[in-house]
Amino acid sequence: MGQQTVVIKSNRYGITLFLDKHIPFKDLLHDISEKFRASSKFFKGAQMAIAMEGRNLSREEQIKIVQAIQESSSLEILCIFEQDTLEESYMKQAVEEKLKEQDASNGRFYKGTLRSGQVLESETSIIILGDVNPGATVVSKGNVVVLGALKGTIHAGAAGNERAFVVALHMMPVQIKIADAIGRSDDQPAYLKRRHASEPKIAYAEDGKIYMELITKEVINDIRI
Amino acid sequence: MSEVIVITSGKGGVGKTTTTANVGTGLAKLNKKVVLIDTDIGLRNLDVVMGLENRIVYNLVDVVEGNCRIKQALIKDKRYPNLYLLPSAQTRDKTAVNPEQMIKLIDELREEFDYILLDCPAGIEQGFKNAIAAADRALIVTTPEVSAIRDADRIIGLLEANEIKKSELIVNRIRMDMVESGNMMSMDDVVEILAIDLIGAVPDDESVVISTNQGEPCVGDGSLAGQAYMNICHRVLGEEVAFLDLKIKGGFFEKLKRLFK
Repeated sequence: MGQQTVVIKSNRYGITLFLDKHIPFKDLLHDISEKFRASSKFFKGAQMAIAMEGRNLSREEQIKIVQAIQESSSLEILCIFEQDTLEESYMKQAVEEKLKEQDASNGRFYKGTLRSGQVLESETSIIILGDVNPGATVVSKGNVVVLGALKGTIHAGAAGNERAFVVALHMMPVQIKIADAIGRSDDQPAYLKRRHASEPKIAYAEDGKIYMELITKEVINDIRI
Repeated sequence: MSEVIVITSGKGGVGKTTTTANVGTGLAKLNKKVVLIDTDIGLRNLDVVMGLENRIVYNLVDVVEGNCRIKQALIKDKRYPNLYLLPSAQTRDKTAVNPEQMIKLIDELREEFDYILLDCPAGIEQGFKNAIAAADRALIVTTPEVSAIRDADRIIGLLEANEIKKSELIVNRIRMDMVESGNMMSMDDVVEILAIDLIGAVPDDESVVISTNQGEPCVGDGSLAGQAYMNICHRVLGEEVAFLDLKIKGGFFEKLKRLFK
């Protein structure tokens, strides 16, 4: 390879591609794939913003480039920047907003009972159709909703979202973590709790403490997603 | 068509071996051809509970290692001509056998037997993996205690992960007097936690201890536990049988007496 057709510059929150002006787009795409495949270890699992310089690209071409990058590495591109906005602080803000949005407002479903020793991890919010038994763990960067009995351990807002919440039809958790706040159950034996945990409850964090309440209109109004 | 059933629990001492012996004997009583396999290598005891210890010449490890043919290692039961036992080795450990070898062994037995019952060791290590490798179905034994239920829950999860779809629950050693006084979980409580189908509830009964020590499974005798085991056998065969009333019968004075105990 004679001249570098693709140069990657990156900071913590984003990468900037400096692209050759002259070679055909197809070749450029190929070079980009090669480049990212070579450094896929470095970008493993990262979520970043991207900007492209040195060449006028159509929207379609930009999307093709992003696809090529995501196919050749496990880097996830959260947003594309127009030129002139390459400052790190700018990228940081955009990425964090995007991430938070993704955590809380996107979700997925899991059907089945989570049993002792099983761990369910989710990048987004999660709705569990079933019970979470003692000894089972759910870790979500967003919110957790259990349509069943919650008797295990939950970590919501695992990436630091303090506004995350946990809802369960039968709220009898061993431990709930929201962002960095930890709450544990009282020391009453679990099998006695069944009788007074029959109403749906919500758990949320405030000032580093976990609060648990019955779900009412007021509480729901206070939720910010 | 034969069915391979593993009897497992996670926790030790909840009654896996006793259940295997009784369900196996019960199925033989119902004219099925049954083989019991003790997969607890190094801690052999199904032969003792069956009263067949003195007949052991070859064992599971001998078969797997090719020291003998399967037929030579199978011990014919002294009571029922269609009941056999494949004993485990006492001088080796769990690593003497691997899951592939178990699958091969059991596939050979499938041709000959209606039911193959595997007595699983406690724990979730190699011995457990060996036992569940070839199973079509699982009977999970638990007692109404939090520790046993927690382990059973873990086991059910592992069985699901190994794609054993049919898991059914046996709640062992229930004491209805304690359930009634609120000091013991009921069958319903246990089923609610574990969320699988109940196939049997066995009361805490002296006759089980006596029969185990004598090497004579109590299934189908007059005792309440014997009836409970027989009902499990019928349900294994797919029959609908009502659950026994395990309450200790007695009039007003009996109840009063128990109240002051």
